[in-house]
Amino acid sequence: MATNSLLDISSIAKSYGPVVALKNANLEVQPGEIHALLGANGAGKSTLVKILTGVITSDNGTIKLHGKEIKFSSPDDARKNGVAPVFQDPALIPDISIQRNLALTGTNEKRFIAELSAMGIKVNLNEIASNIELPTLRMIDLARALTHDPELLILDEITAALPVDLADKVIEIMNVQKKKGKSVIFISHRLAEIETICDRATVLRDGINVDTFTASKGSEERIVAAMLGDKNNVKDAKKAANANSQSQSTFVEVKSISGGKNLTDVSFEIKSGEVLGVAALEGQGQDLLFEILAGEAKPDSGEIFVNGKKVSFNHPADAIELGISLVPGDRKSALMSQRSIRENLALTRFRGISKWGRIKTKDEERTVDNAVSALQIDTRAKSQVKRLSGGNQQKVTIGRWVTTGFDLLLCFDPTRGIDVGTKQQIYDLIRSFAAEGKSVLLFTSELREIQMSCDRAIVIYEGKVQATLPIEKCDEENLMNAAHGLVGTK
Amino acid sequence: MNLVQLKRQSWNIGIIVLALVLGLWRINQLPQFGAYEARTFVLGILPIALLSMGQAIIIIGGGINLAIGAEAVLINCLSAKFMLNTSFTTSVLLAVFFLVVAAAIGALTGWIISTSGIADIVVTLATSFLLVGVAMFVMPQPGGGVNQKFSDFVAGKDPNFIPPLIWLILPLLIIWIPLYRSRLGISMYAIGSNKDAAFLSGVNVNRTRIKLYAVGGLFAGLSGIVLTGITLSSSPFANISNTATLNAVAGAVLGGVSLAGGVGGLVGPALAALILYFIPNILLAYGIDPSYSQIITGALTILVVLLGGFLRRRTGKK
Repeated sequence: MATNSLLDISSIAKSYGPVVALKNANLEVQPGEIHALLGANGAGKSTLVKILTGVITSDNGTIKLHGKEIKFSSPDDARKNGVAPVFQDPALIPDISIQRNLALTGTNEKRFIAELSAMGIKVNLNEIASNIELPTLRMIDLARALTHDPELLILDEITAALPVDLADKVIEIMNVQKKKGKSVIFISHRLAEIETICDRATVLRDGINVDTFTASKGSEERIVAAMLGDKNNVKDAKKAANANSQSQSTFVEVKSISGGKNLTDVSFEIKSGEVLGVAALEGQGQDLLFEILAGEAKPDSGEIFVNGKKVSFNHPADAIELGISLVPGDRKSALMSQRSIRENLALTRFRGISKWGRIKTKDEERTVDNAVSALQIDTRAKSQVKRLSGGNQQKVTIGRWVTTGFDLLLCFDPTRGIDVGTKQQIYDLIRSFAAEGKSVLLFTSELREIQMSCDRAIVIYEGKVQATLPIEKCDEENLMNAAHGLVGTK
Repeated sequence: MNLVQLKRQSWNIGIIVLALVLGLWRINQLPQFGAYEARTFVLGILPIALLSMGQAIIIIGGGINLAIGAEAVLINCLSAKFMLNTSFTTSVLLAVFFLVVAAAIGALTGWIISTSGIADIVVTLATSFLLVGVAMFVMPQPGGGVNQKFSDFVAGKDPNFIPPLIWLILPLLIIWIPLYRSRLGISMYAIGSNKDAAFLSGVNVNRTRIKLYAVGGLFAGLSGIVLTGITLSSSPFANISNTATLNAVAGAVLGGVSLAGGVGGLVGPALAALILYFIPNILLAYGIDPSYSQIITGALTILVVLLGGFLRRRTGKK
């Protein structure tokens, strides 16, 4: 089989100091194939892609393209040789216009516009990249990669930041590439996508490829089993969600909040000990809603009641004072990435300490250690948070509030780009908060996760709460319909 | 010019308006305004404007050069020493040679930063001591000189203000505009804006940085030679180089260059030099103590940058 393969990667290894990212990775891609590359966070997928595209060099192993051994010196070199990557983080230069970004990579402007309009997207080429919304930027990245007519297109987590309609576009594009006899390596955590689109899948675990198989219906379980080894099973989450006893007292009530371009009239309430899910398509104002509740932004109108008392926040500190804490969608904005796990976890503990008081090191150590073990944070790279995997970083952002204490945790898409095993841990954690009588407001872009973790869900559409659904009705279809404004059960 | 482009030019437009207002104010203070006064204005800002432009290029590329003033002082000393009592042709050839030296010093600085991985601010602080030291070695006391014809070529024969104006505008036309349009220009914005993204887009980050420091050095060299042409002498003092460096940073920032990198251009810093020149002179004409005028200049700089940042935030967020 390997005789006429397009790409043949064998025995790749890479270590960063004591941290081994890849031990012995092998990957083989056929011409005209959509090949899924899967694995938990930290399994080595992104490292493998970076080695393949010349961003970093491997310690060991060989890469063959069309049977010829190659080693790209830079992503530019890879692009010129028919391997076009779309990386996990947007690769456009934020401060310059799209046009100048295209000039930088020597991209043909006309072809780029053609590719982009084929996706149904229009962009002013004079616009500065940082003024463009993330989903559109991802599509621009993709269109730019396509104009180089790649033999092999590599999509690293592209669908994670995309709303459903654009994700469908990406899938369409992959199929077009396949029809042209070109290949695609597709990295995604959305397992449902994998089994319908991909021909074959390779699963990495701890830097080694553990399984390669033909993808088909029902592959999901095999993928998860391969990814987790024998760690645990995803299905347990549902049980946890349904076994719940909550009090009936309302903790926070939101009345007719409006603000920004999108929120016009949002009202709902969160009970103590409840996990309330929020579902919405991209750009319905859900991010602003979370910011308002966290005291980061002010609503144009509307009222917030905490324990029946009307409140208004001038600063996140006001919200934190009342027990309302935000875990933002962008981990980077929550963490001090250069500092240790301990400092990150202890940052918000200062509330209890008098302003000029000494920090009791012993005491802090104990609290932090408790949080680390409760959250099962991987402490191999504890001296700098930026060296942790995405999932572990997310645990640190949540863990901070575990050490501080809270009554309502606002979680904005806490599992974006995180592997199944860690997702499971995060949802377990959220359930345990509820069991302690604390409340959680949870927005997630993966609708099926609502049923796994919430007690109730609201769906926001066109600035209003379109539907409030009990957990039994929170299946993907109902949520999706409501999110598109098709049903209202208010 | 469409609306998007107009918005992007808003800082420059603001700077132009401010420079015009202050300029008119200053002219109004003078008993008369003619070619002589115009020449005084241009000569007053030319060295620092060129230095601000050089600093701006480096800052846009995500760096900072604290030795840029020292570089100018060194070239000032070198040119004043070796151009003394030479013919016009020799002076011009020497000037070209020293410009090459200045660019080479810049490139070397960039190379040290790139290969060592040490922060720009540390490396250039060290080279600033080094370069002033060399300048003092070249010219132990103030002095030296230059061919009178060469001086006229740079500074104009009084009251001819055209030559210095040309030396202000020419670098913009023949260095900045081609640079902005070149791949190096885009790479400059790219590495200043986001180094990782620049690398992923195929930019050679280190080579770009070295080239930018070389261009910055070229501007510092121009500044030094122009200074020789204007003053017909040189002064090897650290306090001159340090003040010049900091004024160059102030000029760049006031001119709309973001210290975070990736934002701004060169026209702004050139005009900002004009503003930084007018303010103390206007105050001086009112008989205000120079130490007060320092305070007011400082406060005004903060105010302008604050206002600019505020406006930028308002237009940036939709």
